[in-house]
Amino acid sequence: MKQTRMKLSVIHLFLAVLCVANILPILWMVTSAFKSEEEFSVNPMGLPWQWDFSNFAKAWEVAHLGTYFWNSLIVTAGAILLTVLLGALASYFIARFNYRWSTWVYGLFIVGMTIPIHATLVPIFILMKNLSLLNTHLSLVLPYTAFHLSITIFILVGFMKSFPKDIEESAIIDGAGVYHIFWSIILPMTRPAIATVVIINFIYNWNEFLFALVLISKTGLKTLPLGLANFAGTETKFQTMQMAALTMALLPLIAFYLLLEKQLVQGMTAGAVKG
Amino acid sequence: MHGLKRTGWTVFFGMLPALLIYTGIALVPIGMSLYYSFFSWDGLSPMRHVGLHNYISTLTDGVFWKGVGNNLFMLATGIFGQLPIGLFFALLLNRSLKGIKVYRSMLFLPVVISAVIVSIIWGMVFKIESGMLNGLLGLIGLESWQQDWLGSPKLGMLSVSITYIWQNYGFFMVIFLAALQNIPQEMREAALMDGASGWKHFWYVTLPMLKDTIWVTLIFAISNSFRVFDLIYVMTAGGPAHNTEVMTIYMYNNAFQNMNFGYGSAVSMLILLFSLIAIYAAKLITQRNR
Repeated sequence: MKQTRMKLSVIHLFLAVLCVANILPILWMVTSAFKSEEEFSVNPMGLPWQWDFSNFAKAWEVAHLGTYFWNSLIVTAGAILLTVLLGALASYFIARFNYRWSTWVYGLFIVGMTIPIHATLVPIFILMKNLSLLNTHLSLVLPYTAFHLSITIFILVGFMKSFPKDIEESAIIDGAGVYHIFWSIILPMTRPAIATVVIINFIYNWNEFLFALVLISKTGLKTLPLGLANFAGTETKFQTMQMAALTMALLPLIAFYLLLEKQLVQGMTAGAVKG
Repeated sequence: MHGLKRTGWTVFFGMLPALLIYTGIALVPIGMSLYYSFFSWDGLSPMRHVGLHNYISTLTDGVFWKGVGNNLFMLATGIFGQLPIGLFFALLLNRSLKGIKVYRSMLFLPVVISAVIVSIIWGMVFKIESGMLNGLLGLIGLESWQQDWLGSPKLGMLSVSITYIWQNYGFFMVIFLAALQNIPQEMREAALMDGASGWKHFWYVTLPMLKDTIWVTLIFAISNSFRVFDLIYVMTAGGPAHNTEVMTIYMYNNAFQNMNFGYGSAVSMLILLFSLIAIYAAKLITQRNR
């Protein structure tokens, strides 16, 4: 017994050291953001001698963070709304009706989880150009929706299939239509799975870079990752200001993660754990 | 399932919006890429049919093969870096331990951070002057090890790969952890009775139980490694002198910097082909071991 307690404390110590080492780059960046450029060049490793907040105001201004946050928010929200609405509707018809071709449609959607984005990049760019959608929020909302319908439908169908078969029966006897059943019975019951789906779609869309890089070139329309990548490429002299910008972009995300960790982890690994 | 009339069409129209967006923007473009790959086209002037020319010039370009080599390097760091480290932490965390959630949260955190932010942070870590890594080496008296990590021809890919491992192993850790928790407790007890403990237990009892999970993670590691783009684009843009170039960067540069859409499409088809070959090869190898 004593030996296992010893072993446990060794494991604890070991894990604690590794965990801190793991997030050391983040800790280093966040603390350095409070240093002036001059201090950082002579004291890159230690804690700041003086906690200086001026980098944050400067970075917010210079990096256009407000604009990028706003664009990311619109694109992310728009894509989530579209994905979840259309995805839930399709999932309902796939999960609650028995047609042979609907399982075929389901298979088609699932294939999407394996499609690499870059194999579609050129045609999507041409398509958006022909539709005059380049440099619009919609040009991102559409591909984000298209590429995340697969995992959305995968999770929602799995959940909706678990409901007992007789759930709709009394509604049918009352003469309720298909859409009425969807809206007032199935959708409310699916709420936990919808929460998961909203959360992972949020993370994927919020972090997306490649589509934004190709489809958006106007500063006023850039999303957060694209704007930050640009800012980091141009303001290389002002390191601690960059770190302040990154810290401001990172903290809301970490808060979001800590708050909704369980569903986030479940959702992100759903494709791997079940399939 | 229930007796509504004419539901066939209703069901079809209910799926239609999702199906249209999905096929139009995710599926059809793959076919379009294949089609474009046989043309020379800058997006403005008329398309010119060139047959297999794009494929031939890609396959005879040394820079492309440099990218293939680096992709294989990423593939190796995925399989031999991310998977074992993920499994290692999963084994450590797979016990009743106080504060286990805190550890898991901290280890999984990099997975949810956008690749762009990860890359900028690690770019700063690897900087020559006032970079964190060189700073740490200075603190422990290893000044002679300090160098330009990302710019070095020898260590550039290794530095990028360390970031790549850091960013992804948490994902595999969670998958392995879920699989470990599904192994029935009796299995463990039975093995202990037979005298299997420690390494023996891991090798003969745990690992075989994880076979399916390992297969799934292997597929993920392979396809992830061929998709790496953000990380390298932001950290090094494939440089210096194509030293850290991967196929996706090569594709992006040709399609969107040189405005050669046909050529870029051909490269994207080759990436798809190579990743399918890698997955198939993995299948052959693991099946032989079964």
